[in-house]
Amino acid sequence: MSLEYFEEEEFKTQFNGQTLRRILALTRPHWRWVVGFLVTIALVSGLDSVFTYLSKLIIDDGILAQNRTELYRLLIIYGSLGFVQASGVFGFIYLAGVLGERVRYDLRQKMFNHLQGLSLSYFSRTPVGWIMSRVTSDSERVADLVTWGLLDVTWGLMNIITAMGFMLFINWKLALIVLGILPILFYIAYEFRKRILGEFRTVRKMNSKITGAFNENITGVRVVKALCREDANLEEFKALTADMYRSSYRAAWLSALFLPSVQLVSAIALAAIVWYGGWQVQVGGMTVGGIQAFVSYVTFMMWPIQDLARVFAEMQHAIASGERIFSMIDAVPDVKDLPGAFDPGTIQGDIEFDNVTFYYDDGDQKPVLENFSLYVKRGETIALVGETGGGKTTIVNLLCRFYEPKKGSIRIGGRDYRDYSLHAIQSRIGMVLQTPHLFSGTIRENIRYGRLDATDEEIVEAAKLAGAHDFIIKLKKGYDEQVGEGGNLLSVGQKQLISLARAVLAKPEVFIMDEATSSVDTLTEALIQRGMETMMKGRTSFVIAHRLSTIKRANRILVIEQGKIAEMGSHAELLRKRGKYYSLYTKQFRHQMEQDLDPFSQPEQLATA
Amino acid sequence: MAVSDAVLNYDLKRAVHPNRLKGLWRLMRGFRKLYIAATLSLGISAVAKTLTYLLLRYFVDDYLVAGSAAFTLPAIAIGFILLAGVEGGFSFLSGKLAAQTAEGITRRLRNYLFDHIQRLTFTYHSRMETGELIQRSTSDVDALRRFFADQAIGIGRIILLFVINFIALLQLNVKLALISVVVVPVIVGISLFFFRKISKAYEDYQTQDAVLSTTLQENLTGIRVVKAFARQEYEIGKFERDNWEKYLRGKKLLKMHSLFWPISDTICNIQILVGYLVGASMAINGEITVGTFLAYAGLIVWIIFPMRNLGRLIVQTSTGMVSYNRVMEIIRQDRESLETGKHRPKNDILGKIEFEQVGFAYDDGNAALEDITFSCEPGQVVALLGSTGSGKTTLVNLLPRFYEYTSGRILLDDIELKRYPRLFLRQQIGIVEQEPFLFSRTIRENITYGVGREVPQSEVETAAKAAAIHDIILTFEKGYNTLVGEKGVTLSGGQKQRVAIARTLLKNPRILILDDSTSAVDTETEAEIREALQNLMKGRTTFIIAHRIQSIMDADLILVLDKGRIVQRGKHNDLVRQEGIYRQIYEIQTRIDDELEKEIASVA
Repeated sequence: MSLEYFEEEEFKTQFNGQTLRRILALTRPHWRWVVGFLVTIALVSGLDSVFTYLSKLIIDDGILAQNRTELYRLLIIYGSLGFVQASGVFGFIYLAGVLGERVRYDLRQKMFNHLQGLSLSYFSRTPVGWIMSRVTSDSERVADLVTWGLLDVTWGLMNIITAMGFMLFINWKLALIVLGILPILFYIAYEFRKRILGEFRTVRKMNSKITGAFNENITGVRVVKALCREDANLEEFKALTADMYRSSYRAAWLSALFLPSVQLVSAIALAAIVWYGGWQVQVGGMTVGGIQAFVSYVTFMMWPIQDLARVFAEMQHAIASGERIFSMIDAVPDVKDLPGAFDPGTIQGDIEFDNVTFYYDDGDQKPVLENFSLYVKRGETIALVGETGGGKTTIVNLLCRFYEPKKGSIRIGGRDYRDYSLHAIQSRIGMVLQTPHLFSGTIRENIRYGRLDATDEEIVEAAKLAGAHDFIIKLKKGYDEQVGEGGNLLSVGQKQLISLARAVLAKPEVFIMDEATSSVDTLTEALIQRGMETMMKGRTSFVIAHRLSTIKRANRILVIEQGKIAEMGSHAELLRKRGKYYSLYTKQFRHQMEQDLDPFSQPEQLATA
Repeated sequence: MAVSDAVLNYDLKRAVHPNRLKGLWRLMRGFRKLYIAATLSLGISAVAKTLTYLLLRYFVDDYLVAGSAAFTLPAIAIGFILLAGVEGGFSFLSGKLAAQTAEGITRRLRNYLFDHIQRLTFTYHSRMETGELIQRSTSDVDALRRFFADQAIGIGRIILLFVINFIALLQLNVKLALISVVVVPVIVGISLFFFRKISKAYEDYQTQDAVLSTTLQENLTGIRVVKAFARQEYEIGKFERDNWEKYLRGKKLLKMHSLFWPISDTICNIQILVGYLVGASMAINGEITVGTFLAYAGLIVWIIFPMRNLGRLIVQTSTGMVSYNRVMEIIRQDRESLETGKHRPKNDILGKIEFEQVGFAYDDGNAALEDITFSCEPGQVVALLGSTGSGKTTLVNLLPRFYEYTSGRILLDDIELKRYPRLFLRQQIGIVEQEPFLFSRTIRENITYGVGREVPQSEVETAAKAAAIHDIILTFEKGYNTLVGEKGVTLSGGQKQRVAIARTLLKNPRILILDDSTSAVDTETEAEIREALQNLMKGRTTFIIAHRIQSIMDADLILVLDKGRIVQRGKHNDLVRQEGIYRQIYEIQTRIDDELEKEIASVA
């Protein structure tokens, strides 16, 4: 849905020669292929004109001259050239086609590789759908331009040039008449193509609207029924399909009108040939075969012309696609290694936030954190609590160096963490997200994500420590069970346990956990708690905490409000204070107890997801 | 040409037929004349094309060679233009008519499906996957559109071209004509053979494309995980593998194409060469004229080359057939009638409800409710308490006749529920779900969604205020015109619920069904929602599906459900005195307070 939406975004760009050059440069590593298909297509195209000329000779020198030997000779040439052309056809389809696939491959890979290096800020301001359609559809369009587009242009030009050559040779005056008609033909074809392309874009837009309407009405069918909206919805939908009918009818109408119009113009050329040529034959300036050749050349000429028109019409879209691709490839990561960044070998030291101010670049640049200072001793567990939007996640994002402070600095082991390489920091931090993200594949592969060279035994060990082992072995295929797209074959609790096992396997030096707010059953909850304890033992840990037991276990609790530390201290200290933490805690206490003690709460069936 | 309402409203259920070709023919009902006209135009256009070559023959033989033509040169030249005009005109007409047919059939099919799906039963919707239904309504419908727009007409075109030109060839010279079509079965055979393979290879290619998209999407949505584990290299490797596989499959597809076209070219060329040889020899022998040879050389191309596409079209047709089945699978289902039911009061109902030994069983015989008996007066509150799967939701779903009870009876204002038309009942009942579904429209449109009349802004705002959502709406830049969902703001669970409350307030139903599990809502907004709900319940017969006791202590009747049966019933004060689940839940409340006291005391 969203993908289609982004694909149909309007991009009106002027013709940009620089982008075009850059697009053409994409084929440079494979220039031999380009030369290959250009040569073969030129050959195929030229031979087409030769065949017509051969037909002329067959008529004039063979049939009309009643010369059988000459006829056989010509037919043999015709036949042999036919084989040459067939191999040329094989050559250009194969070369241009495979090259096209290769360029697509290159482009996708280039974009993907570049994306991996971009900062989180890029991803938070760029919708996934937008990136997806750059990598999928824009790469297609650009690759098509440098292969089939280039091929069509070569074919068309070659065809027109050789045909013109033969025509000039047969009768130059008549050829000049034809030459005069060419620009008219091209103009008509181009105008048509442009409009047809535009109509089809409208159709695609309408189509995604229709898909959207279906999507919404089916997912919301309960509400539709409950509110008796059937008739109103049908009326709305009918208006949509009526629009769709109009635009697709218009597109089809234009397409149907296109070829006949071009044909009619060539018919006028044809009539001119008959008229002028017929008269020429009588005065001896032209042969019957010559007329036949002219007729063939002219009737055939509309194909290269309409191909050229199509390529030029599509080129603008391909260039727009190219610009979008390049804008992505040219994007510079906000957070990157400074010159001389190094790997200290460990990041186990104390962590210090020194007067950190931070705001996100999108929107109003209102500081999310302001003059935030915090000193965390090695091995300490810090619980972050407070309302959503207070800045808890930002603290964690800064610590992971997904973002860097706008003012102030963060020191690890007494040194500004910008001196270290990104890899040095991020590879030593273990993170469990609130909504655990798994990748398609088996459970084993997902856990191994934490440390790629881990043995199967180590994976089982990690799963045991995280409390995931028990439910995994109850699954039919155990560790080799597929988790589905985004892990959707597993329950939320199971996903959390696996992402915990993944973090355990990574043996990080700093542990970060964003506790899930959604409730899982008591048993799973206990398992997750145990897994977390294992992780926090001896490691500097930051937990965005929602569960009371987690909060109580922390060495220090930070109540974060509006980018500042509102209260800080141990559980007992803060409770005694009867301030913000106190009210937060009592509210949470009631809420959680109610859930825990609810006799109706059905334990989530871990083994049968 | 406007399509009449009778055609647009044709019941497509009649297009369900076990024979798919007959079914497709029935789908064309009302458009058949257009379609036949399109085919006829195509025929006329083809005839004009053929005549052009015959005119060429006349021009060469009678004018150029013999010099004894009855027509002057300009007349012949104009003849060529006229023929081109006829050919082009009718080809355009055919394209236009075919588009009208295909797009008209598709539009009717889309409308029908859309309406049909929203009128199918709840049972059907809970059984079918959403994605599956959407795919059938979009991709499969589009495959059918292509069948009517391209394939059916394309096959017709090739056959017409063949027949007309073959007849013309026969007129020129029978022997020559027969020699020229020897290769046709071979070409069709080869084209079928290749396109079966090509379509298979293309499917493989598309499958890999989907795999690659998934890999990309997972990487993008999980970018935090990728970064947190510094797995960029690994991800690149993974993408590279899938990417390369797509390249390989694309290459395979292209190999097929790069073989098919030159091979079929060569076969066609050999045929043409043989034709030339025979034709030219005959011309030299004087068996045929030069003009005949020229006309022959032109016509033969139109017989042979289009045949190469026949295989492709036939293979693609099978896709259309499969889609026909998938779409008809939906259309075959029975709708639930909104209008049947004799009892249709002029005024609103009062809201007196009686259940008498009501039972409900699913189609497979599994009982979801058994022996439910209770009654309530207008304006009373009935609370349903029970675990997931105890039958609470099923019970309330019987009221708007989302499901039909299978035994016993339900009386509404002393009249059996089944005698009320569904439409009337549903207008009298309002539902607020736990996670209400909002539409990708503006907030205003969402609030007025079920009202069915023009609502003044002041009324919308009054409802929003009573639902405690007005202030929040004003914080959005576009206020009530803010879009909800992907392209607008994302509302929290509690906010959605309050929009749904406002929606229901405007609808002003006599009976209310509330799913009052506030687990999705954070503690802050709980009080506001509770107040909004109190506003909503005033003066309406209300059914609350509850998880917690506070919200139902004032209920006139509390039903505790377990495994589809009522295990306890009464008012709060009676139930706390009884031994049972209800008291257990109630006691938890006091226990929590005790424990909290202890906890705080321990640190002090």
